Amino acid sequence: MTKRDDSVPSLARLPTGVRGLDDILHGGFLEGGVYILQGSPGAGKTVLANEICFRHAAAGGRAAYVTLLAEMHTRLLQHLRPMAFFDESVIPESLYYVSAFHTLEGDGLKGLIDVLRREIKGQRADLLVVDGLVAAQESAPSDREFKKFINELQAHASASGCTVLLLTSGLLRHVSAEHTMVDGVFELEDQLFEFRNERSLIVRKFRGSGFLRGRHSFRITDEGVTFFPRVEAVFASASQSDTLSDAKVSTGVPGLDKMLLGGLPAATTTGLVGPSGIGKTTLGLHFLSNSSPAEPGLMFGFFEPPARLCLKARHLDLGMTAAVQRGDVEILWQPQRENVLDELAHRLIGAVRRRQVKRLFIDGLGGFLESATSPQRMSRFFSCLTNELRALGATTIFTMEVAEITGPVTRVPSSGVSALLENLVFMRFVERDSSLSRLLSVHKVRDSGHDPSLREFYITDRGLHVGEAFAGVEGLTTGVAREPASAAAAPPPVTPDV
Amino acid sequence: MQTILVVDDELGAIEVVATALEDEGYRVLSAANGRHGLERLAEGQVDLAVIDFMMPLVDGTSMGRAMKADPAFKNIPIIMMSAVGESVVRERFDGYAAFLRKPFRISALIDTVRRVLA
Repeated sequence: MTKRDDSVPSLARLPTGVRGLDDILHGGFLEGGVYILQGSPGAGKTVLANEICFRHAAAGGRAAYVTLLAEMHTRLLQHLRPMAFFDESVIPESLYYVSAFHTLEGDGLKGLIDVLRREIKGQRADLLVVDGLVAAQESAPSDREFKKFINELQAHASASGCTVLLLTSGLLRHVSAEHTMVDGVFELEDQLFEFRNERSLIVRKFRGSGFLRGRHSFRITDEGVTFFPRVEAVFASASQSDTLSDAKVSTGVPGLDKMLLGGLPAATTTGLVGPSGIGKTTLGLHFLSNSSPAEPGLMFGFFEPPARLCLKARHLDLGMTAAVQRGDVEILWQPQRENVLDELAHRLIGAVRRRQVKRLFIDGLGGFLESATSPQRMSRFFSCLTNELRALGATTIFTMEVAEITGPVTRVPSSGVSALLENLVFMRFVERDSSLSRLLSVHKVRDSGHDPSLREFYITDRGLHVGEAFAGVEGLTTGVAREPASAAAAPPPVTPDV
Repeated sequence: MQTILVVDDELGAIEVVATALEDEGYRVLSAANGRHGLERLAEGQVDLAVIDFMMPLVDGTSMGRAMKADPAFKNIPIIMMSAVGESVVRERFDGYAAFLRKPFRISALIDTVRRVLA
């Protein structure tokens, strides 16, 4: 997952241990650094800081968690207890909770710095969290005094090698003294997108280290916090070089393989465009049924759960269940919920890497589109995703549903995406003799010729079969077949805009 | 009137415990850490110390040990309180008369105080 585009000085790191975060930070915080973790109430600062402490303690480190005017420890620990990272056995030996608010009230910043210094020393802490920095700021008699406090804290952190996280609900709207002085600023947000919320992290500053730029989504669940590094940042260039090959991969449908002059070019991405019910998933099941130990398959679907897919395959006389049981095919179903776009991509890439998948069927593109909170990033997102899949050697088929059941198809769904697809196959219904026929056509294939004819295809209890080219009719791409004699009065054929 | 010393680093916790004990007719002294707590003990007659486990500077177990080592304070009963389990506390210090796991009900606090002072 880690992809570095900046040179990183060889300073010792304190890994956060939080899934995905160390990839964003190129390995973690720099030891002895002072960092601000900021965000509005509810953004996830306290959970994240606590998870970092627990994971640090679990890895053999020692941490002190000092609160100012923040949640009471009793309630805090109650809230953390259900989380997977919570381990009471590390308290107090490796993780110590204290409040310094009394000290701040009585002795001001001087007293506070004394408490922090003593806690670092007394607990032999190499990680210190100060939760509620805003209380310290409010009690400072002047900006200058607060700057001195930050400066002194930095000096103690550096001298003791203790990494310090300062939690504050203030935002970086106005660059203030502490933001310019500290080694890093990490901003957490919980943004509303019409009816749904999505959490994200932006690294505003990380002195002395490269990091993945931009907005990275994250989730908080009972497992803790999981970050999903932005696909365009982490896969800005593919993790390995693209292996060029003339090899073809069978679609599992002999008639289509013939149109493709042997099959799909290996390690390419194919868009399979058509309306609901035309047979896109059926074609995908054929593709996956040809999986083998040498060519492991993966179904990454949004619409039909694994049991239903296996049943569907059985009705088509395809051995999917056996292939799944042998381990040649894995079905990863993504229920239609509020998915996070980058989470989906990382789950997909992870599954492809884990089994070195060579046959990948994604059903379909719409599942990704519906998860996107920023549609304008989709073209670049898919570019990076498909580049990575190509580099991993996966031959990928995406289904792309069009809204029109019949009639002309003039454009693929999602502008900008079609250009990223090396191969394009259309499936559509055609009205002929007062009944609907199915039509299959290949519109482009990377670095290869193909049969451009418009073929009829059938779905029977033996699967999908490609027939002959439609003969004696024309106007098929309008959705209504006509006798050639009426051609003069008919509109011209429509060529898909790809 | 019996005097109870409440030692806790969390302002809210002290307020709640002190108010509840005052409502029951006790005189209450408070301190924000063990060091301050030992100073308050020296100020006058204390009949019971209610001490939090984790505190800055001098923690609850260190304060408890210091009390037991000092002839002037060694007979003052201690109620330890903590958000972590009693076994964790007992490993470090077992010289207390009762233990209260946070969060606790006021009624549990009052019952425990009465029992220890009886």
